[in-house]
Amino acid sequence: MSLFKGPMRTHLNGHKDLTEHGEVVSLNPSKVSIPLFAGADTNPEILVNVGDEVKVGTKIAQFSSRFVIPVFSSVSGKVEAIEDQLHQSLKKVKHVVIASDGKFTKESNPTIDYEKASKEELVDFMMNAGIIGCGGAGFPSYVKYKFAKDVEKLIINAVECEPYITSDYKTVELHFDEMLLGIKAMQKMCEPKEVLIAIKKSHPELIQFVNEKLNGEKDIRCVSVPDVYPMGWERTLVYELTKKRYDKLPAEVGCVVNNATTAYMFGKAMTTGEPIVSRMLTVSGDGVKEPKNVEVPVGTSFHEVVEACGGYTGEDMVVCFGGPMMGGTVTTDAVSVERQNNALTVLKKQAIDEVACLRCGSCSDHCPSGLQPVRINQAAKLKDNERLGKLRVDKCIECGMCTYVCPSKIAVTENVRRAKRAYMMANAKK
Amino acid sequence: MKFNYSPAPNYRSALSTKRIMLELLLGLLVVYAFSLYYYATHFGTPYLMQALIIMAVSVGSCVLTEVVWALANKKNVISYLTGSFPWITGVILALMMPISIHWYAVAISAVLCILFGKLVFGGFGQNIFNPAAVGRAVIFAAFTGLTTADIVTSATPTTVMASTYSWCVTDASMVSALLDSVGGLQNLLFGFYPGALGETSALLILIVGVVLAIRKVIDWRVPVVYIGSVFVLTSVMALYKGMGMWYPVYHILTGGLFFGAVFMATDPVTTPTSAAGRVIYALGCAILTVLIRVKANLPEGVLYSILIMNACSPMIERVCDCEQIKGLKTSLITFACVAVLGLGSGVLAIHAVEPAKKPEPKPEPKPVTVNKDSKFVQDFKATVNGSTDNGDGSITYAISCEGYAVMDHDGEPNELEITVKDSAVVSVKVVKAMDTEYIGDRITDADFREQFVGLTLEDLEVEALSGATISSSSVLKAVMTALEQ
Repeated sequence: MSLFKGPMRTHLNGHKDLTEHGEVVSLNPSKVSIPLFAGADTNPEILVNVGDEVKVGTKIAQFSSRFVIPVFSSVSGKVEAIEDQLHQSLKKVKHVVIASDGKFTKESNPTIDYEKASKEELVDFMMNAGIIGCGGAGFPSYVKYKFAKDVEKLIINAVECEPYITSDYKTVELHFDEMLLGIKAMQKMCEPKEVLIAIKKSHPELIQFVNEKLNGEKDIRCVSVPDVYPMGWERTLVYELTKKRYDKLPAEVGCVVNNATTAYMFGKAMTTGEPIVSRMLTVSGDGVKEPKNVEVPVGTSFHEVVEACGGYTGEDMVVCFGGPMMGGTVTTDAVSVERQNNALTVLKKQAIDEVACLRCGSCSDHCPSGLQPVRINQAAKLKDNERLGKLRVDKCIECGMCTYVCPSKIAVTENVRRAKRAYMMANAKK
Repeated sequence: MKFNYSPAPNYRSALSTKRIMLELLLGLLVVYAFSLYYYATHFGTPYLMQALIIMAVSVGSCVLTEVVWALANKKNVISYLTGSFPWITGVILALMMPISIHWYAVAISAVLCILFGKLVFGGFGQNIFNPAAVGRAVIFAAFTGLTTADIVTSATPTTVMASTYSWCVTDASMVSALLDSVGGLQNLLFGFYPGALGETSALLILIVGVVLAIRKVIDWRVPVVYIGSVFVLTSVMALYKGMGMWYPVYHILTGGLFFGAVFMATDPVTTPTSAAGRVIYALGCAILTVLIRVKANLPEGVLYSILIMNACSPMIERVCDCEQIKGLKTSLITFACVAVLGLGSGVLAIHAVEPAKKPEPKPEPKPVTVNKDSKFVQDFKATVNGSTDNGDGSITYAISCEGYAVMDHDGEPNELEITVKDSAVVSVKVVKAMDTEYIGDRITDADFREQFVGLTLEDLEVEALSGATISSSSVLKAVMTALEQ
């Protein structure tokens, strides 16, 4: 907080206690629909046919036009169909439907010993194991290491700043050794001066647990960060730990940031050869009867996940994949869990009492990107494209902060999102 | 089962505009309560009633205007009002009123400020000018003389400072006279002095302001920068003119600066939205407040500075349109430029102001004396009507001598008895004083008569009665005549 800018972040009620200390349940779905989706890349090479037998970890498709991203089967069984289904993005996307035989027979994928392997071998291994960012964005991790140089800090992000979500905490707690292995391999791949595992200071037991486990490790330490949103966003986290801001990528200030679950997935892949086939998912919110963390195979339907948590508490629901701040909503629960999903937040529909904007500027004070949502909304109303450019609407990360803080209960983020799309489209036409 | 499409985020903070407005209202009412206490205890019930009437009329007129507007625009009155908060404007307007104002003026300004300050711009959130400030300006422009007859208060510290001292006092005795007249700086802090209803107690407003800032009802930046800049600017001016630190303190404690900075300059609707913009805005308010006070010699710098800066808000916003981190430099440069400009013009302004001078002591009127050569002494005729030897060497002469009555309207001469011994006067007795009542007939005063005792013909000279030189001359002539015998 300073005189000329706002705090750019805020504390919000996390509701983490709903799931943080509960048991983890493993799901065994009879059928999975694995979406073939990797952002803008919509043209995967499909490696299986209907009727093929697959095992856990069998590569079923691969994207390679922009980044190399392989997709793996999450169960053992038979490919039933390859068809278009509704995806989380509310678009039709090709899914590979596999009927599970319930045995989870594992494919024998290669393993690697990070101590003996070279940096290049590790990067290739990471790419082929399909390790993507498990914090929600799904960015392929190997890219960060391929070009890494002069790295000061490797930051392992276990902040988990969205409300309700505790899946990273659970992963750190239950799979620490594999995660540490992944971290050490990452350390070798980018050669940082130090490795920081960032956890919110409002979780002292977890910090203590990590510190005990790290006892004797050189250059790896646990740091506590403030309990604010969006502490887990790369930019905010890098600024908190280095007091430096960067333009596009954290590499500019000598940082590599990876999620804790990503490190775990990498560690697991190195020891067992198993790529990301299942993951920890926090199912929480006031819309689900028994909030808890579940270990789900990729491709399990939301419906099945919610059923495993006691079902819905009402009839009128908002279902977000991810947390309530950034998670998009789905209009049916017949969509599949993806590799990068870390939570399923189910909320009761709330009535919103919107009043006129009083220009309080709270959105501008709290925007973690330093944008001015209220001004963007005004410029968008006037269709002033030039001003939208000056206001850098393209830099919005849609974190949801402006809507959260708005006292007039205006859907600020949605307005900015629309303004951003309109601005991008107008610029693309030029 | 219904799955709602609801774009992220689906999570909201508890703070709402309605709660902000409610807490602001409570803060204002605390200030009002102090005002009621002050007028009830220091002035009595009629003043308390007057304070209540002002508040009732102000809030009532504001709400009623919006009700009529809502009806005229065929809107649901209740939902329109709960989203428009006219009572806030009403309360602020009332708190800016002097206690002596007539309720009729309050009503007119309340209607005008809601109508032209707010509704014609499109209602809550759209207005350019702070509505309450518009209302107060209406009073200043049109109704300063419209006061309630039986409510009288003394001058406020700012009017004293503006009219008697021109906002520049260097003389130490005058400074202490000024501070004594307002009850000292600590009284300005506590606010037990007449002024606008809610503007006097800087301390109470400060406490309310801190609470509201912590509760995120107002932005702390505006009052901090506003009051801080006024303090710094006036400190520099005080240094320049060799005035003490009392000067900046006097500036920040008087003229409703705290009230304006906490309750009016923070009005989010009429201020820039970004932090940097608000800081520049508050600095502008501070500079204008000081300049208006010192150079325009008006007591109400705060009100006009806020209105002027309201008009500048859109411009400031355009300057601050950027990514806030990258634009930080632009904001800092703008702030620094405005600060330097303000400091420069502040010093120039105070440079041009003559320090208030002590009023010249009135020269004691020189006493008029009369003696043998005085004009009237030579003109008047005295007649010795008789003499008595008292046997102790002194002789008493009965003398009648012309005086003002004779000169003015051929009236009777004054009759005196003068006792002389060894060529010196022993006593003067007035038997009949015929000159003008209460003026000329004061020759009978013992103080006057005793001047003659011991005088001889050589040193015959006395101080004339003021305003009765002619009558005094008449007595002198009589004495002279007696001594010549």
